Amino acid sequence: MKDKYQERLASIPVLEEGFRSVAYIADRRIATTVYLAHHLEKPILVEGPAGVGKTELAKATADYLELPLIRLQCYEGLDEAKALYEWKYGKQLLYTQLLKDKLDDIISRKNGFSSAMEKLHQYDDIFFSWPFLEPRPLLKALQEKDGAVLLIDEVDKSDDEFEAFLLEILSDFQVSVPEIGTIRAVTKPLVFLTSNNTRELSEALKRRCLHLFISFPEAALEREIVRRRVPGISERLTRQIVKFIQDVRELELKKVPSISETIDWARVLTILHAEVLEPVLVRDTLNTFIKFEDDIVVVAEKLHQLTATAIRQ
Amino acid sequence: MERVLEDFITAARTAGVRISISETLDAARAVETVGYGDRALLKDVLAVSLAKTAAEKQLLENCFDRFFSFGFFAGAADRSGEEPPRIQVESSLVRMLMEEDRAGLMAAMTEAARLENLSQIRYLTQRSLFAFRLLSRMGADDLDRQLQSLGAVDTPAAAAAAAGLEAAKRYLVENVRNYVQNTYELFAGDEGWRRLDGELRLVKLSNIEQRYFAHIHEIIRRMVKRLNDLSSRRRKRARRGVLDFKRTLRENISCQGLLFSPSWKKKKIDRPQFVVICDISRSVLRTVRFLLLFLYGLNQEIARIRTFVFCTNLIEVSDIFDSCPVEEALSRIQGGADIPLIMGRTDYERSFGDFRRNYLDAVTRKTTVLILGDARNNYNDPCPDHLKAIYGRAKRLIWLNPEVPAFWGAGDSEIRKYSPYCSVIRECNTLDHIERLISALIRS
Repeated sequence: MKDKYQERLASIPVLEEGFRSVAYIADRRIATTVYLAHHLEKPILVEGPAGVGKTELAKATADYLELPLIRLQCYEGLDEAKALYEWKYGKQLLYTQLLKDKLDDIISRKNGFSSAMEKLHQYDDIFFSWPFLEPRPLLKALQEKDGAVLLIDEVDKSDDEFEAFLLEILSDFQVSVPEIGTIRAVTKPLVFLTSNNTRELSEALKRRCLHLFISFPEAALEREIVRRRVPGISERLTRQIVKFIQDVRELELKKVPSISETIDWARVLTILHAEVLEPVLVRDTLNTFIKFEDDIVVVAEKLHQLTATAIRQ
Repeated sequence: MERVLEDFITAARTAGVRISISETLDAARAVETVGYGDRALLKDVLAVSLAKTAAEKQLLENCFDRFFSFGFFAGAADRSGEEPPRIQVESSLVRMLMEEDRAGLMAAMTEAARLENLSQIRYLTQRSLFAFRLLSRMGADDLDRQLQSLGAVDTPAAAAAAAGLEAAKRYLVENVRNYVQNTYELFAGDEGWRRLDGELRLVKLSNIEQRYFAHIHEIIRRMVKRLNDLSSRRRKRARRGVLDFKRTLRENISCQGLLFSPSWKKKKIDRPQFVVICDISRSVLRTVRFLLLFLYGLNQEIARIRTFVFCTNLIEVSDIFDSCPVEEALSRIQGGADIPLIMGRTDYERSFGDFRRNYLDAVTRKTTVLILGDARNNYNDPCPDHLKAIYGRAKRLIWLNPEVPAFWGAGDSEIRKYSPYCSVIRECNTLDHIERLISALIRS
């Protein structure tokens, strides 16, 4: 397993090819970053507009390396108990009930309060040991024997405190559980953090990561993505769709269509058996990639012009 | 090659990319992994490991292109199609020039630059010196000597050879000059932002030039973020209450003492309320601008700010500040035709009087009043009674004076007459002053 993993990360071209094999079309910079992240054992902070495939990158990496993907979705109020570990309180209670007789036994054999206490002390750590520990995503990622891909999604949505708490894990790949001690990673996981820049992340966090900025792809790359993701689509339609979307991105919109929306639209059009873009068809399917009423109005105004330039492709 | 990376990072820092030591180490390790072989790859690797925002990436890429530009010694000196004169080759420099060995010349020049520590260049005036040093390192002395000896011989062949050498020398000097200029721009361009950061905090706000404003805003943004971070822990603790047992018992008596609904002890943080009264006559305006940028940045910390500005009279402008960013608000107030502010001579008596008559109920026991002004009342009656009335209602009244203390009370400054009715009077004319003041304010 280990060898295969190394082999798949042997060089940048190998990695690029590998991403292609799992239907993720990466430009060279992305492949370079993943390659470096593996060799320097550093997390990757992925930024970029929504829907350019930040999360998808982590999934594709996990797919390609055949590693489990462990995902931690961040939100406001996320804390250690949900991200790292928690004690299984229910199980602890249940076990104390079940073992009550046993405990009585142990204690009753001893006479005198202090000796009973002493005897108990020999056992009390039992309830704070591995069987009662509920690992949450972060701890789980550290425990994976063959390594894992850890995706910390939308880290900008979490609080400042959580960000600070991540620092220990990101730089040393270890966490401290007071009752058990420090837990180190068996195999260091490949970590991806994604951010939509709703707030500025701290310098300390950024310093510990490699920083990858994914922007909207060039037309050629986007065409390739569509071809990969929507098998059976005609070359002509692909060109037209991509041209149309790329032009729409130039407009002043609340939310510009992302790659995932390009793919959705391409799928919709293939289902409708469209061969070329037509204004009527575009108008009817506009809502697959434009999600705001105001934006639809803006695009609809220029619809004919946009379609005309796209058809020329 | 370590040295190249080091120099590149210095250049990138000059260009405005913030690079820490740990990032430098990362970059070194990353470059070790991929090598210097592939230019595009090297660029990607450096961009990934050094730059941490999209804007920084752009800066870094530009810097990279300039730093690793090998456009020198292009288009050799004009020979106008003639057969080059035969010149006896006496030194390697002459040989390279004659053979148009661009790579060799480039290598010799970068090597000379390394030996002479060209990357230490800081000032415009150092350029000629460095160009001269580089030239002599490359062996320009030999070239001169050969030129001299050719000049001594009086034959047509020697004259042609001398002319050829002369042209080659001009070509060499020009290229070295360009190289030094390029390096200077890389390492010392824009007077070195690196030093600026620390200095700008201490420069008098009234003396800061317009072109540094964007930079100051960046500094303020970082200061504000730090202050916000500092107190976020406090906020969090307040959110997480402990069980208030007495209250729980009391409230659950109606359920026959069964504890149905627990109630929690909550710590209440009182966030300060501010009333800011600013003199916006020209002498104080700069300071006002930065103070307000700061205060409005801290909206998480501050329950409510009401802002009043005055010059000849006083008006409330809170709604303008609430509705648009500080920058825009200030320009609107200054140029505002729709705002009943008279920008005549500063009149403290009338302005404080206005406040007392119209807005005194804005000040309560919880309010901190910040007054920003130089208290120069143009020899009118200061009438401290108005201030006394405000002081009597407020939790604290802090007067910020942009003048240095030595001038307080001199000339038409009435600050001494106002001082009995201020909790504190502080000098306030640098970013450092503002930061210290505000961090004290939100903590107490």
